[in-house]
Amino acid sequence: MVPTPESLTIALGAIPNSGKTTLFNRLTGASQSTGNWPGVSVEKKSGSFVLGEYSITLIDLPGTYALSPATKEEQVVHDYFLQSPPDIILNVVDARNLYRGLGLTLQLALSGLPMVVCVNMIDEARRQGVVPDVKVLSQHLGVPVIEISAKTGEGIPELRAALYEVIKHPGKTRPPHMSCPPLIEKAFVELAENITRAEIASRLDPTFLAMRLLEDDRPQQWLQNDQVTTIARRLRQQLEQTLKTSMPVACADCRFNAARGLTLEAMHRQPVPEDPLSKTLDRIFLHRWVGLPIFFLLMLLLFQGVYGLGTPLQELLASVFDLAGSWLAQIKPVTALPVWLQSFLLEGLWQGMAVVTSFIPLIALFFIFMSLIEDSGYMARAAFLMDRLMHCLGLDGKAFISILLGYGCNVPAVMGTRILSSNYSRVMTMLLIPFTLCTARLQIFIFLTAIFFSPAAAPWIIFLLYGFSFFAVISMGLVLKLFNIGGRPEPFIMEIPPYRLPLVRSVGFRAWHELKDFLSRAATFIMVGVMLVWFLIHMPIDAQPASDASWAGHLGQAFAPVFEPLGIGWQETVALIFGFIAKEIVIGGLAVIYGGTDPALLTGHISALQAMSFMLFCLLYTPCVATIAAIWAESRSIKITAISLGSGLVFAWITSFVFYQAALFLGFH
Amino acid sequence: MSQQIPVSALQAQCECIIRSLGSDEKTAHRLAQMGILPGNHLRIIRIAPLGGTIEVVVGQGQNFALRQEEVAAMLCDVVAMPLVSELVIAGQNYRIRTLLGGKTFRRRMEKQGLQEGDLVQVNNTGEKPFPVHLVESGEDVELGEGEAKKIIVEVTAGGPHS
Repeated sequence: MVPTPESLTIALGAIPNSGKTTLFNRLTGASQSTGNWPGVSVEKKSGSFVLGEYSITLIDLPGTYALSPATKEEQVVHDYFLQSPPDIILNVVDARNLYRGLGLTLQLALSGLPMVVCVNMIDEARRQGVVPDVKVLSQHLGVPVIEISAKTGEGIPELRAALYEVIKHPGKTRPPHMSCPPLIEKAFVELAENITRAEIASRLDPTFLAMRLLEDDRPQQWLQNDQVTTIARRLRQQLEQTLKTSMPVACADCRFNAARGLTLEAMHRQPVPEDPLSKTLDRIFLHRWVGLPIFFLLMLLLFQGVYGLGTPLQELLASVFDLAGSWLAQIKPVTALPVWLQSFLLEGLWQGMAVVTSFIPLIALFFIFMSLIEDSGYMARAAFLMDRLMHCLGLDGKAFISILLGYGCNVPAVMGTRILSSNYSRVMTMLLIPFTLCTARLQIFIFLTAIFFSPAAAPWIIFLLYGFSFFAVISMGLVLKLFNIGGRPEPFIMEIPPYRLPLVRSVGFRAWHELKDFLSRAATFIMVGVMLVWFLIHMPIDAQPASDASWAGHLGQAFAPVFEPLGIGWQETVALIFGFIAKEIVIGGLAVIYGGTDPALLTGHISALQAMSFMLFCLLYTPCVATIAAIWAESRSIKITAISLGSGLVFAWITSFVFYQAALFLGFH
Repeated sequence: MSQQIPVSALQAQCECIIRSLGSDEKTAHRLAQMGILPGNHLRIIRIAPLGGTIEVVVGQGQNFALRQEEVAAMLCDVVAMPLVSELVIAGQNYRIRTLLGGKTFRRRMEKQGLQEGDLVQVNNTGEKPFPVHLVESGEDVELGEGEAKKIIVEVTAGGPHS
């Protein structure tokens, strides 16, 4: 009889920049899925692989520096370990920079859970002549330590064997000893005794729990034992008064002292040479005068790379869908259907699929280029260069790149916010991106300015709209910051990693997974949105589509009093509803509504002033269903999605209102 | 003597030993978490082109980007700084740690009698050209501001900062 495979959970934890994701990809291959950790916009990745007779779920924890929570990510990891400890911990450290990684390793080893440590990038460490002694590490940490290179695959079989061994023979782990000032150690012992006495059911070591209790501001959230938490609070107060530092700082101090000692031993006291390449490159990339021009040049390349290549591909796909659509409209089985059903299939369903598909090249290219920038280490430099500019909004420099890319297309830009370092930055940035003037909106503006303004004035109008978009991003940022949406800004402390050559494999992997993610998370939302709009425009069945008798027409007329002070008639309101599918359709929509084929006839219906007010509204209101879908998929929060929709509509209305009324007052018409 | 370094004195090549991470607990926690701890050496590598943000190297050679407010809030013992720094106290002895810049610059400084390891004093800070008193030879030399910027001096034992 074949035994049913036992399923086990392994948690992969490491500090940022230790090659955790590469190892994750290496172990799980294609079997990955992404989601969010409950309640926060922190990405949760998990995958599976088979180890002998066991089926393993590997959870990729967010990169964190320690278990004492200072950021949302660290809170997630902290809660995970305390509330649902994994069966096994897999920890990764960078062989060339042991000291930085070992602080977390020590904390994890103290948990008492079975654990395996990988010393990653061993190949590069060998090249630099700095190879740590894994035997020493293993002895001190009391867990198996394996040399690997996630990049080349070296050591992966040994790692799998070690994990298998740990599963087969769990045995009693021997938590490492970490010497702290006597006062703190005494407190740990006292609290651990109390925990043991209280018979708290946990697989975690009592001393580990004691450490967490003493560092945690709100231990009652994960430990329902008032007696123990009260003792913890009392001990913490006493310690902080005597030592004159806060517990998290004191604990970090003993952790890093232990890590320093352990590093010295593992390296046999050989000093780690600094990376000369990074030093030289930084002298150029971060140069006082040359740094910024290079940055803008690279951003131009990035923008051109994503949109210069992506937009033609997007248009190509759209025309393929159009062609196939018109072919479908002529074939027998379709023409035999009732007219309304034909229209639903072609203009609802087919159109929805076209919208979803058209984003594929953009998203793929976007993540290929973003991964290149991120994996090479330039992203941290860009954040450093741009930090001052974004600081006024409480954002850090990385947000600049996300917002900049919104000027191409909002959808990948919103998806890209997941690279930002804090929950605050992610939420703020995804709420600001919709105010950037994307190329789809640009099409409306180019078209309308061409028919309403002289060729000499039109470019200036577009330029003004771009200027206004910058203004909108900044002012909205200040407003959102005022309301504390997304919590408080985090202090900006960013590690600057050495430069590294990006790996084609992981760049490809990333793009592929993001695409898969987009299709699974946002596609349904987009389809539903497109079909909803179809219903509004085509129902009831007997009404002329988009006419005053259609639901959209009714809606437009119902809202007429709201839009009238903006100089926007009900027909344009219907076009704005069209614009919810994708901004490109607004112009076509206007043509359908006014019942003509030549959109230039518009001049007979609305004035230049009204057109201008309409453009301002288009610039600021909800970009499109795909952006909303992306915001929802990234934030997993109805509140944030609603704030995005609401803030766009309100801001658009106020702006158009002020503009139109002021212009009328000044005598324009 | 531990002090807070004013924002205006946060220049490249300034080095100090951190004594306290400042009064903001959240920031202190985060700094500690990443391994920036009391007792560590912190050296400023560069200031961002737009200002406000600085790159530092801490302890065993880890590079970080921080905002200047966070560094200015720390309590530090100053160890080294450029000769032009406002942290340099007039009439006190400092030892030349490094002469930044190429061979030509070194040779030019040598001609003036300045070498790494020499003791120097600055007498009237704020004046141009920059007057420097060589403690060992007793001579006085005048340097351009650009030259003085490239001379990194360290605090001597028993000096004003210790």
